Order: sequence, then structure tokens, then C-alpha cells
Amino acid sequence: MVAGDIVLTGLMAVLLVGIAALLTRIENWRSYTPLAGGGTATGETVVHREKPAGIIRWLTTVDHKDIGLLYGLYAIIAFAVGGIMAFLIRVQLVTPAGAILSNNAYNSILTSHGITMLFLFGTPIIAAFANYFIPLLIGADDMAFPRINAIAFWVLPPAALLIWAGFFLAPVTDNMIEPARTAWTMYTPLSVEQTNPGVDLMLLGLHLSGVGATMGAINFIATIFTERDGDVDWANLDIFSWTMLTQSALILFAFPLLGSALVMLLMDRNLQTTFFAVEGGGPLLWQHLFWFFGHPEVYILVLPPMGLVSLILPKFSGRKLFGFKFVVYSTLAIGVLSFGVWAHHMFSTGMDPRLRASFMAVSLAIAIPSAVKTFNWITTMWNGRLRLTTPMLFCIGFVSNFIIGGVTGVFLAAVPVDLILHDTYYVVGHFHYIVMGAIGFAAFAGIYYWFPVFTGRMYQRTLGKAHFWLSMVGTNLTFFAMLALGYLGMPRRYATYQFDGAIAPLVQVTTFHQLATVGAVILLVGQLIFVWNIVQSWLEGPKVEDGDPWNLERDGMLDREFEWFDEQLEADEHERDPSLLADGGQDEQTDS
Amino acid sequence: MAEAEEPGLSDQYPTASPWPLFVALGLTLSEIGVFIGLFPVAVFGLILFGGSVAGILTESGYAERPWPTLLGVGAVLTVLAAALALWQIPLADIALSNVGEGPLLTRLVAVAVAGLVMAAMGSVASLLEQTAA
Ligand code: HEM
Ligand SMILES: [Cu+2]
Repeated sequence: MVAGDIVLTGLMAVLLVGIAALLTRIENWRSYTPLAGGGTATGETVVHREKPAGIIRWLTTVDHKDIGLLYGLYAIIAFAVGGIMAFLIRVQLVTPAGAILSNNAYNSILTSHGITMLFLFGTPIIAAFANYFIPLLIGADDMAFPRINAIAFWVLPPAALLIWAGFFLAPVTDNMIEPARTAWTMYTPLSVEQTNPGVDLMLLGLHLSGVGATMGAINFIATIFTERDGDVDWANLDIFSWTMLTQSALILFAFPLLGSALVMLLMDRNLQTTFFAVEGGGPLLWQHLFWFFGHPEVYILVLPPMGLVSLILPKFSGRKLFGFKFVVYSTLAIGVLSFGVWAHHMFSTGMDPRLRASFMAVSLAIAIPSAVKTFNWITTMWNGRLRLTTPMLFCIGFVSNFIIGGVTGVFLAAVPVDLILHDTYYVVGHFHYIVMGAIGFAAFAGIYYWFPVFTGRMYQRTLGKAHFWLSMVGTNLTFFAMLALGYLGMPRRYATYQFDGAIAPLVQVTTFHQLATVGAVILLVGQLIFVWNIVQSWLEGPKVEDGDPWNLERDGMLDREFEWFDEQLEADEHERDPSLLADGGQDEQTDS
Repeated sequence: MAEAEEPGLSDQYPTASPWPLFVALGLTLSEIGVFIGLFPVAVFGLILFGGSVAGILTESGYAERPWPTLLGVGAVLTVLAAALALWQIPLADIALSNVGEGPLLTRLVAVAVAGLVMAAMGSVASLLEQTAA
């Protein structure tokens, strides 16, 4: 122990001295001049180029577009990791005895899959779009606090390493530190009793990601309130910014609460406190705190994707968003209501039936603003001039999947139905229609729609369509099979299902599990095509020459981000032609 | 310290700052150190965190020099650690010889050590600068 501490001290000292040395080499602390505010300031120093070269650019950037790209790369990597985990889960379940994993391995992968997808893919992919495009959409130079923006991103890579730490450390520590097996809800007493330090590392990772999300939310609120261009007011603020504003408010109320609950759990585990012990606050206290965060979290994840669809879908319908105002109002209504429904995740815990009834009422009520949005999307397309481009296909897929996900949710919100379906695959089917079928699809729509803006190139259209159809078929096959499994009584979070026929009819259950796995294979093929398309087109795709690649001008729907893009294209042209350098072209020459 | 003539990264480029990465790294190491109970990681993590906060506040113009911030962060951490110790640990058990025994005491001492180091660095650097000027 003592030797270990000395080694650790030495390591830390070397690290700190190294960092200090590095900082004094690249940064001049004496030159700092006090300025008003913390915006990106050029001071009196001469600017040669916007950004340093190579890897240093990415490690030190405080530019919202670069940070958006970093978030995007991060989220796609997390999506791949979480996706491979999901695929392993589906392979395991092709036979009742389990095909490839031990029970422990299954539980570890199940836990990591959920947390990775929600916290390392979902929240960051939204932040990617928001960082890149909100300043462009509202005509701001950058985010209100560019440095806090960068800090909010840089806590995420360590958060991911901590969340996955058990997988890396188990082989080298002789299984002393293993991956957490708490499921993403981390219910007590289970999560207190697992003494495995991998659980602590995961909790810390989650805490860090929450710190990052909160910093990001503060930044978006400040940006949308204070950095808008003069002619962008509340009446013509775009719909994506509205949903981000609402989402950020939800984050501001929900994530600090998760952070505190996680700290309490860590203290119960390490410092013998009794917040969630029977003799203290009781295990149900965790469920209340967790779901008071957890339900708003599902809207934190779905509101901005709804905003993306509300922004993109009209562009390819040739019509303005139907009932824009009501889409905004319903966003705000969902934001408020989402804090009043958390106990619908706890109907079967034996809580007071009167409380249960009131949570049921509010949960059913939240379906109303959700339906308002759905009808608005449908009416936007009604009699429109539809153009079935890849982003549009993903928007339509979103609406279709959201309807199934939402309607199944309404059933779950009814207490008697929930008592039967709770903890079955029906719940898994319900929320995957939303998290994959809706949120995932909106993310793809956004990536394809703005691909020309952030890469300057066009993706391959045929591959895009293949990606859509494989995703649509795969999603519906996989998750519809899960709804059926739930009706048959298949419980969720099982590594094997060789149970007695009294729980569920084994033959049918096996068949539906196999169908779900076939769907997962189709999904996987689709995502491989997606990655290939993005990478190859980014490197070699045809350059976009026109600032309006979607031909939106015709309908008067060219938003500011494309106008900005057009200006960039023109500026690039000047750069390529040296004779035009005199009128403001950028000087490529670096100084000594 | 770099020669004063050499322009730093953040002077040269308007959209670059070396600090955010290290604020995040400092925060991560502090959390791991304090919560898992790794004394050296807690101390160095907190120092890195406090130092980077002082740096970033100075760079972005919220503070004139980094040293008072360093002193302030150090003082706050020390006071916090002392207050928690007095509140949660019986007086008789608060002794340096008990470090490594109680889980809470060891962690609080780590925080206090980091705080004292930062406070010392902040005040010494402040004094040096003032006498040099
Ligand atoms: C139309 C509105 C919705 C209603 C009425 C609704 C209702 C419900 C209910 C009652 C449950 C609990 C089922 C149980 O465990 O027995 C549930 C679970 C869940 N819902 Fe929804 N939902 C809706 C929309 C959404 C959305 C938009 C998302 C995601 C963005 C979502 C994600 C989830 C998740 C992740 C769970 C499972 C939580 C767990 O692990 O236990 N739901 N939903
Ligand atoms: Cu809920």
C-alpha cells in the first residue's frame, strides 16, 4: 500500500510538472491583459490565422463549430460502442440458454449499453448539433462562454473512460475491479451492496458527464438569451433553438439533482452513510430521486430531436411548419409537465394508490402536447410538395416510430396496464421506439441535412437511402418483437430464459427473440453503411459549390446557417484566387 | 516562465485556449482522488484544478493575475476540509497519526493539504511579483 502510494505520488508529481512545463511553453501568462467579460478576445495582438495547426487545434479550441465536431465524433464513437454491446445482447438471446455470455458478462454489458447510449451518445449528439448550429441559426459569433463550452466537452472523455473502466481494469486487476452490474437505474440496495470499485468509477463518470451537461445547459441558455443577432427576436426564433432552450432548463433542474443523488450513493458505499439504507432514508428514496431526474431526462433527450424534425421536415415539404406557435407551446408544456410524472416508473412499488392515481393523470396529460406535435408534423406534410431525400425519410421515420413509442407509453401510464407490463420486454420495446426509432432517427436526419455545411461535401445519396431503409426495417422488427415478447410475459434484464412455461410460453418467446436478433443484424448492416458513407464522403465526396444545396431558396426557407455557409464558400473562392487576397482574404502564412 | 516577447497560444489565436482541457482533467482527478480515496491523486488533482481555474480566469480577463485566485481556492478548500472534520469527526480522533485510518479523515486531510499548497503557492508568487515590480 505504502509503495503503491509512493509510486502514485511520483506519477502525479511528474504529470503536474509536465503540465506546468507544457503550459509555460505554449502559453504566455505575462501577456494576459484584463478585458471586460470572457468572450473570445483578440486584444491588440496580431492574428495571423484563426486556429493553430494539427492536434493542438483540437485540444485547445474554444470555437463552437470545432467543439460541435468534437461532440459529434465523440457521440458517434459512443454509439458504435453502445451498438456493439447491444448486438452482443441480441446474439446472447437467440437461444434460451444464452449463446455467448456468462450471466455476469451479460449484466455488465446490459448496464454499460444503457448508460453509454443515454449519457455518452444521446446527450452529446444533441450538444453536437446545438454547438455547431445554434450560434449560426441565431446569428451569434460564438457561444456566450466559449471556454466553459470547451470544459463541458473535455469532461466527457474521462467520463467515458470511467464508465467503461471496469472492462479495462478487470483483466489487469485479476477481477478486483469489474464493470458495474447495477443496470442504468442503479437501484438501491443492489447498487450499495456491490462492493466492486468499478461501480464507484462508473458513478464518478456519470457525475462528471452531468457536470458537463449542466455547464453546457447554462451556456445555451445564456447564448440564446443574450447573443441573438438584432433581427432575431422571440417571435422568429427558430424551433430548434426553442427546444434547446427548454431542454437546457430541464437539464438545469434535473442534472444537479442526479449529481447530488450520485454523491449520496457514493457516500453510502464508501463512507458508511445511510441515505438509502433501511434504517436511513430507505431504498425507495433512491427511486424517487432517480426518477425525478430520470423522467425529465427522457424529455431532455427527445425535445431537441423533435426540434430537429420540426426544423427539417418543413424544408422538404415545401411548406412552413404548421402551427409553429403551438409546437413551441407544446414544447414548453412538456417541459413543465415532465417534472410531475416521475412516479409512473414506480407504480408497482406499493406506493399510496391515491398518489398513484394522480401520477397516472399527469402522465396521461403529457400525451396531449406530444400529440399536438405529431399532428403538426403530419399536417405540415399534408398537401405539401414532398421531396424524399435521406434527411426527409429519417424525419418521416421519426414521426412513424414516435407514434408507436408514444402510444405504447400511454398504455404504460395507465396503472392497471402497467402493473401487468412493468418489467417486461414491453417497456423495453416502448422506450426503444423512442430512443432508437425517434431520437436516433432525428440525429441521422440532422447529420444528412447539414452534412454539406460541416464537411463542404455531399454524401452518397443511394447509400443514405439504404441506411434509412435498413434502419427503419431493423428498428421495427427488433422493437416490435419486443412489444410482443412483453405481452407474452418475458421479463426484462434476463441473461437466459429457460424458465418454466408458467411465466411465458417458451416456443413463442424464443421465436420473437430470434426475430428481434434478425432485426438487430439488419440494423447493424445499416449502421456500417452509414459509417462508410460518412467517412468516405467526408474525404472524397463531391465538393458542394452552391450555398443552397437543398434548393430551399425557392420556398423562401433558406435559414441563416446556409446563408453563413454560402458566405464561407465565397470566402474560400477568394482564398483560392490570390489576386483577390487584398479584399480581406485570409493570410495562410504562419509566423515564426 | 516563457520569455515575455514570445506570444502565447491564446494571444496568437482568438479561438484557442490551453486551459479548458486541464480544468476538466483537474476536476476528473480530484473527483477520483477524493471519492475513491487515493491521497496523492486527490492532492495533485485539486492543485491542477485550482491552478487551471486561476489560469483560465486570468486568461479570459476575469482576474488580473492568477495568484489571488489560487490563494482563494486554496483557502476555501482548507476551511471547508477543517469545518467538515470538526463537524463529522470526534475531536479526539483528529490527529495526523490517524491519517490512513478513518476514510473521512484521510480524504479531508488530502483536501486540506492541496488547499494549503495552493494557498502557499498563491501567496509566495504574489509576493515575488509585487517585490519584483
Ligand atoms: C407519450 C409520452 C410517454 C409516456 C406516457 C410514457 C410512459 C412511460 C411509462 C409509464 C414507463 C414506465 C414503464 C414501467 O417501467 O413499467 C415508461 C418507461 C420508459 N420510457 Fe416512456 N413514456 C412516454 C414517452 C417517452 C419518451 C419520449 C422517452 C424517451 C425519450 C421515454 C423513455 C422511457 C424509458 C427510457 C423508459 C424505461 C425506464 C426504465 O428503465 O425503467 N418515454 N414510459
Ligand atoms: Cu417516465
